[in-house]
Amino acid sequence: MENAKLKIIKKKDVLKFLDSLKKEYDIFVPIEKNGDIRFSKFNSEKDIPWNYRNTKIPPKEIFFPQTETLFSFEAGTSTLSNGSMTFTPIDESKSSAPGNKNYLIFGIRPCDAQAFSLLDKLFGGDDFQDPYYLEKRKQAIIISLACNKPQITCFCTSLKGKPDNEEGADIILFDLGENILTKPITKKGEEFIENLDSWFKEAKKSDVDKKNELMDLSLKKICSGVNLQNIKEKLDEAFDISFWNEIHQKCLGCGICTYLCPTCYCFDITDEIDHVAGGLAPSRGKRIRCWDSCMFPLFTLHASGHNPRLTYKERMRQRIMHKFNYCPENFKEIFCVGCGRCIRNCPVNLDLREVLVSLMSLGSLCKDKKI
Amino acid sequence: MIEKIKEVVKKLFKEDKIDIFIGYGEGTLPLRTTPCFITGPDNIEKLVWNSYCFNNLAVYLPRFFLPQLQKKDLKFPRIGILAKGCDGRSIVGLIKEHQIPRENLYIIGINCSGMIDIEKVQNAVYKMQEVEIVSAKEKSGKVLVENEDNKKVELKKEELLAEVCKNCQYTAPLIYDVLIGEEKRKTKEKERAAFIKEFEKKPLEERWKYFQEQVSKCIRCYACRQACPNCYCKECFADQTRPKWIGATENISDIMFFQIGRILHQAGRCVDCGACVRACPMGIDLRIFTYKLIEDVKEFFGYEAGISLEEAPPLATFKPDDKQEFITEP
Repeated sequence: MENAKLKIIKKKDVLKFLDSLKKEYDIFVPIEKNGDIRFSKFNSEKDIPWNYRNTKIPPKEIFFPQTETLFSFEAGTSTLSNGSMTFTPIDESKSSAPGNKNYLIFGIRPCDAQAFSLLDKLFGGDDFQDPYYLEKRKQAIIISLACNKPQITCFCTSLKGKPDNEEGADIILFDLGENILTKPITKKGEEFIENLDSWFKEAKKSDVDKKNELMDLSLKKICSGVNLQNIKEKLDEAFDISFWNEIHQKCLGCGICTYLCPTCYCFDITDEIDHVAGGLAPSRGKRIRCWDSCMFPLFTLHASGHNPRLTYKERMRQRIMHKFNYCPENFKEIFCVGCGRCIRNCPVNLDLREVLVSLMSLGSLCKDKKI
Repeated sequence: MIEKIKEVVKKLFKEDKIDIFIGYGEGTLPLRTTPCFITGPDNIEKLVWNSYCFNNLAVYLPRFFLPQLQKKDLKFPRIGILAKGCDGRSIVGLIKEHQIPRENLYIIGINCSGMIDIEKVQNAVYKMQEVEIVSAKEKSGKVLVENEDNKKVELKKEELLAEVCKNCQYTAPLIYDVLIGEEKRKTKEKERAAFIKEFEKKPLEERWKYFQEQVSKCIRCYACRQACPNCYCKECFADQTRPKWIGATENISDIMFFQIGRILHQAGRCVDCGACVRACPMGIDLRIFTYKLIEDVKEFFGYEAGISLEEAPPLATFKPDDKQEFITEP
């Protein structure tokens, strides 16, 4: 996109700008709460924490909430045959899908925007379409905020990312101090800005220079990285190597790395059933899906009691293989954007970068001792 | 102290007394270390000892002694472990609950002077997320932290101590095979319990509100459970599906059920090591609830967890004069 399309909006006008869009959009912005920053519904009382590095909980929760009702049901009033009950779906619109308003996600980091483009491949792929995710996602406008100050856990540059990565966003913003530089990325983003033209003015060359300078500096600050070239091919041979025997040792088996991952998408489906007071028969309920984690033993527990991923070793291997081998196989993409949340929040400092470095440094895997 | 640790570990491997040693290694982030598993004398140099060795290593022990491993006629490994006072109390609890055999353990006790709370460092100098700490150095009671713009700030360690490390009652383990450093037993029981006494004074509604506020942050990642040495159940009540005790959502009633269940299962067992609090990514004040149980168990049964191998745990014994008011008059 040529420089002509770059616009400027005053930082102090942004709240007013968002406020004016409230009627038309469900707006999500980073908001400080309980000492943390999380994407929440826009509130014109609360300023945008422009200096925030990233949220603890990734914005995937906007399109793919931790708990989502798929439909609800009620016991059929007339059908009671052979002691079994028939359930009738009721009012599907009561699922958590949005009403008429489109979503506007404002100020997510470029890595998380990239994560959306990965999740799109899963939830909106050729094989099947997930209506719950897509209904919210399809019409949404994603406005990302380039990183002036990356964290020490950031390694997006190892995964196609960079502080001003454009993938997955419709518009990208640059924080220049008093002004915000806006750059449309998609047609949708371009139209969005055109329709709201009165808020913006043309960017000057000095603004563009400042942006470039900030981005150069920011890029330099990302000092950790892993060369992941051919990691998929490497892992093709790696399922039963001895490497996995030790790498998991310190893992506690909690769900932090997966729940806080912007690309982890696994979920579990359960029914929540209300019982009529005093009665044993379920009367009504809902089918819900909740985030699930491959790090939990329950994730693969069979009804027979058998568990194919019995120990920490198999579960850790699954997490790495899924992101760096199975997803490249299925979607031609590594499902990691290098946001570093799993590194920063791991209670035992099990650093994914370290795992990847030692994996990549293994010589020819065929020679490696098998289990 | 680290040299002494390495020396002992080296000797243990040389004399073939252990198969694995669990200690702390250099972390990849400032103010962090990482649990470190050593299987031979060659890797001993990896070991470190500093004010960031906060993980309770006892959590790893039950994994090595699972009943199904015994069935396969595998010989249980002999494990050496570095234990701070709190870790040592967890080990006592695990031995008493028959999760780990004492004879397979070689406990290197260490006198701990308290661990640093990372959040406190962050909050001491910088506002949240505004500055990134890139390195930290510790020297004689001081911590020198450096931010991304190369600005350095010197902080006093004692001001950065984790809440759980303040007024520590047992700085070194009560059972050990070798002790490094001298144990300085402190008796600051009252000071340690002060925060709970303060909380107890608040009206019921206020306490209930606090509980709701805190647990509503929960994202059901189970880090509190997984970091706790006491949570070794093969299948947690929260994971059971037949019967299903608890819904899978992050709805407040489900979260409360899980948290109350987890906390109550700690009665007479929690040693107040703070592992759950540190593991929690959402910053839930779990300790205020677990510590209340510790105080109750002390008051009703005169029992403190992880202190002696002989004394029967209150949940495993019955005395005719046991107090019962807490059941009938909550």
